[in-house]
Amino acid sequence: MQARNRTPMVLTILVVAFAGLAAAFLSDSWGYPAPRAIIPPVDRAILDPATVRRSYADLVRAKEDLSDFDCYACHEKGHPPPLRYDGNQKLIVPPEHADVVMGHGTHGRNNNCFNCHNENNLTTLQPRDGRELKLEESTQLCGSCHGPTYRDWDSGAHGRINGYWNTKLGPAVKKDCVNCHNPHSPRFPGRKPAPGPHPLHPVAEPAQAVEAPPTH
Amino acid sequence: MSRRSFLRTSAVLATGLAAVAASLKPLFEMEDFTSAEQFMQKYYKELTPDEMAKVLKRIEREVEKQYGVRPHVRDLKPMDGVEFVYALNLSRCIGCRKCVHACVAENNQSRNPEIQYIRVLKMPHGTFDLEKGDHNYDTAQVPEKGFFYMPVQCQQCHNPPCVKVCPVNATWQEKDGITVIDYDWCIGCRYCEAACPYWARRFNFTKPSIPADRLNPEMAYLGNRPRKQGVMEKCHFCVQRTRAGRYPACLEVCPTGSRKFGNILDPDSEISQILRTKRVFMQLKEDVGTNPRFFYYFDV
Repeated sequence: MQARNRTPMVLTILVVAFAGLAAAFLSDSWGYPAPRAIIPPVDRAILDPATVRRSYADLVRAKEDLSDFDCYACHEKGHPPPLRYDGNQKLIVPPEHADVVMGHGTHGRNNNCFNCHNENNLTTLQPRDGRELKLEESTQLCGSCHGPTYRDWDSGAHGRINGYWNTKLGPAVKKDCVNCHNPHSPRFPGRKPAPGPHPLHPVAEPAQAVEAPPTH
Repeated sequence: MSRRSFLRTSAVLATGLAAVAASLKPLFEMEDFTSAEQFMQKYYKELTPDEMAKVLKRIEREVEKQYGVRPHVRDLKPMDGVEFVYALNLSRCIGCRKCVHACVAENNQSRNPEIQYIRVLKMPHGTFDLEKGDHNYDTAQVPEKGFFYMPVQCQQCHNPPCVKVCPVNATWQEKDGITVIDYDWCIGCRYCEAACPYWARRFNFTKPSIPADRLNPEMAYLGNRPRKQGVMEKCHFCVQRTRAGRYPACLEVCPTGSRKFGNILDPDSEISQILRTKRVFMQLKEDVGTNPRFFYYFDV
């Protein structure tokens, strides 16, 4: 008789318990899962494998406007342009060439345009050994002074190579010196770093470690 | 049965069933159910080519269902006569972290919570004490004076402690030197994470989230196919690229050319040149005897 009386009570308790649980889930009273901090997707420019600069050879290959390299649109053939210096032997860069930063070498001694450019034919370059090089062949010019770096670049130890490590399966694209270095100011420029890691549970700044006193 | 008791019983029954159904809500919201097909799948090394093809089809189907992008999943095997080695030029690295994000984009890591295989340590000049390294730096410009930058990722050891501790052989070293993980075999015990001296392994504590427009559809079974909650992952030298002959993503995006990769068994490869001629100063934590395939070197 007692068992008969208990059944409805147990059922009622179960129903109430499930109803309570259901209400709790539906109202989401635990707030689960906890909302995560929003991490903005990274700028696609960060993912771009292009080099920081484009070489003259790149422009030729891409069939782009090369009018900037038409020296004799302004200069006169057969008349090497004169160079002007201030009192400290610093080259005065004419306003037409204001984009040129004279920053090659650390002591300001590399202050003569015609150390590299050919004064007799401004569309070519001249290393000190008397060769005359086209603008596309600028790596030869760089290598004429920077021998060890040229050797490393030639063997693949310095500089950028994109594409295929296994050249049987595809091309390896070797980048030139001027793809990364500005020839007039070759030091690789600094930049803003891409965003750092966003930890799920950011830690507070670590407190200054306190030297524990010796325990003995 | 009287009319009254029938009504009362049915009302209680209906309420009770509705309540039970509603209280099971979290179960219905669970998405990452392991399919029977995946559950019954054999060990990677025991799969016949036919079975592998079926597995790849299943993965393609699952990825398409979840992301709406039809991927191209391959099972790339190591090449003969190839052993991969990585070298990183500490004189050139400027710490710009482009490699970190190119890796995330290539390898379909979770964006939130964030999983990154590469950590770039900012180290003060004059020490190699890793405890002094900081990977949370956020300066207006890098490189900073007085610091050098040392990216650390999976070192692909010859003697990998992570492989030794795995209780289910879900991670192993392949003959081209890459230590790989079968994400379908991993049980998520995280022993390997504890065993790794380089903090190179990452665990999916929650379901990974990747925006569909950022998913890289070129996938490999042992490489960058999307992971599930509860499995380990780590750098695998981009097997989906390198076993197809390409350079890894982190190398291609490096603006300074600090990263070098290649086949050490080819005496003419740039990596062989570097190890022969440059000042290769170390393998990281050489003293623990893991013998990494990742070398740090200097210019000059």
